[in-house]
Amino acid sequence: MKIKNNKVTWQENSAKNITFIVTKDCQLACKYCYLVGKNEKERMSFDVAKAAIDYILDRENEKNFDTESVIWDFIGGEPFLEIDLIDKVCDYIKQEMYSRNHHWFNSYRFSFSTNGINYDSEKVQKFIKKNKSHLSIAITIDGTKRKHDLNRIWKGDGSGPERGSYDDVVRNIPLWQSQFPGVGTKVTISSADIPYICESVLHLYDLGIHQVNINCVFEKVWKEGDDKLFEEQLMMLADTIIDRDLYIENSCSFFSEDLGKPLDCKLQNHNWCGAGKMLAIDAQGNFYPCTRFAQYSLRDKEAWIIGNIHDGIDNNKLRPFLTLDRCTQSTPECADCEVAEGCAWCQGENYDAAKTHTVFERATAICLMHKARVRANNYYWNKLYRKLELEGTREEFENQKPKSNDIIC
Amino acid sequence: MKKYYQYIVILLDDTSVSYCHADNPLKEKRLIPLEVLREAILFSMKENLMIQFVYPEYELPKEYNDLIETIDHIKIGKDVLVYDSVPTNVERKNVVLRLAIADFLAKQYDIALLLPKVTRLNISITDIENFKDELIEDYRTALEMLNSVLLNIYKGGNSPEINILTDRLRLNEMHNCDAGVENITLAPNGKFYLCPAFYYDEQMGVSTRMNHKTKDASRSVGDLEVGINIPNKQLLELERAPLCRICDAYHCNRCIWLNQKLTWDNNTPSRQQCVMAHIERNASRDLSNKLKDTGFVLENEIKEINYLDPFDVKEEF
Repeated sequence: MKIKNNKVTWQENSAKNITFIVTKDCQLACKYCYLVGKNEKERMSFDVAKAAIDYILDRENEKNFDTESVIWDFIGGEPFLEIDLIDKVCDYIKQEMYSRNHHWFNSYRFSFSTNGINYDSEKVQKFIKKNKSHLSIAITIDGTKRKHDLNRIWKGDGSGPERGSYDDVVRNIPLWQSQFPGVGTKVTISSADIPYICESVLHLYDLGIHQVNINCVFEKVWKEGDDKLFEEQLMMLADTIIDRDLYIENSCSFFSEDLGKPLDCKLQNHNWCGAGKMLAIDAQGNFYPCTRFAQYSLRDKEAWIIGNIHDGIDNNKLRPFLTLDRCTQSTPECADCEVAEGCAWCQGENYDAAKTHTVFERATAICLMHKARVRANNYYWNKLYRKLELEGTREEFENQKPKSNDIIC
Repeated sequence: MKKYYQYIVILLDDTSVSYCHADNPLKEKRLIPLEVLREAILFSMKENLMIQFVYPEYELPKEYNDLIETIDHIKIGKDVLVYDSVPTNVERKNVVLRLAIADFLAKQYDIALLLPKVTRLNISITDIENFKDELIEDYRTALEMLNSVLLNIYKGGNSPEINILTDRLRLNEMHNCDAGVENITLAPNGKFYLCPAFYYDEQMGVSTRMNHKTKDASRSVGDLEVGINIPNKQLLELERAPLCRICDAYHCNRCIWLNQKLTWDNNTPSRQQCVMAHIERNASRDLSNKLKDTGFVLENEIKEINYLDPFDVKEEF
């Protein structure tokens, strides 16, 4: 019996992630978007991108850039608003990696997270055809129309009624799935979305998206009682997935066997996210440990700039990120939590929410939601195991246990 | 073991001498109000804190001196003399030399000449950010030379201390500046700061963070009325510093002001601070071995290591 696993991303542990913030503009104004400083002015020029690429490729053997593989990530705002620039930048990257005989030429990806609105445009399609074998594209669709349109609305001037973007995205899903079969989508849950979680995951399965990577926002948005509603939704989803045998073809990152166990502060002390191992570049040519440390991502703190295309990376500014571990940044309650495993954090949100200028203070807004998820997750696996036991397929399942691949930021 | 406040640094004037890494950029006299000084002394007595008064260059009014003499204390700038260059002679046995790294290297032989004249010499490098890897060998050689001078003095029966070479000899655990943990600074405005450098930054409107203007330049952590209130105080402690807690350069200042300035985080030291501290640690090891060979009894064993920056080997711990 085959059971759908949460997929592991390409070269997950051996690739350097380099993110170009090509624009801070987007057609949408999603209500849960953490990008508080979006604007139409800050667009990356080719010269800035080129200087960043030259800087990076010049350092092939340096510790920051000696990974086996590379993911060239393009982010916005909405990256495909800058498809002309992206096309030129990707051409330059390929040309330079080839002419330098750089080891990344044999192991690279161009990666995009898009709202999907321009996906079928001639320019985007031409770009896809040109780079198909090295592309990862994820379209964000949040679930049912009412769930999607609750948050993912068109940018307006505030005078007219809100306009959801579901219809403008869903029409491109078949084309996307035909070009990138098996690729999942990322769903974000905020307080208002909770009642629609179950129907939304099922709807995405119906659309042919078999992998749903879903997570709660890390910001302090949760209301009293949200955790109970959340748990109910997840249990309803668990029942449906199991009763309808949907687990065979589909996966949902809310349910993972590697979740909800205590963690040891010595043996399981690694940091959750890759901030500092990644590199982000903005339109001004500034370098960041992750896009969440650029000013447009931060509500209350100053940008954490670690260098720029002219002066290079100041490695001192990376040291806090590269020495971070789980327990050092956790409260005693988090460090000793009996359901700690799988409780995620975003280093950028930690920094933004911290009392002082530090990445060593873990935000805990997500605590009750995580605990609710753990309860529902336990219910899911207990129910699934019993079903498999009764069907005589449990042993087979145990032998091919899925690995977790939570989407975390 | 958890650490508690042991002493308080009281800046008597805005122009009080700087005795550590940070320069004092404040040029206008602003004497601490007498009433604030009185309250500060009372606070220190009630909290059982040893007082270190930091003096300006000018003479204090008599009523200040009278008040100061009502309590046990140390006078920085008087009992402990601070020099921003290398003097040919010293008027006290306990001396601080504040030097740029280039000056330290250039004046190393003049510094050696001071060693027989002092009981304790504190070297404070004022531009650690300028310590590049190219200077590693120069610094190592300079310490080697000072070691040989020290060894001869020790053989002669005297045992002056120099912070960067002899402190590590007798340490079995971290013994750092511990600003905000074991000590706190009171400025002439009646407010508490982690150390004088944070007060200077506030007064100059300089953020030590992020290289741009801060929305709020305030660096104070309380005042005499409300007491000491350090947000995220736990992050000042050794256990919350992943690099430092695995390190055995026990004498290192572990300066949180420099940490903020160079790495933007309180509890992460810069490469410069780590490398310098390890060159000193290794020089202490050499000195220790030579002293033992000469017949001195030193209980501490300083191990041989193959790195200068624990960051480079952090995965091994």
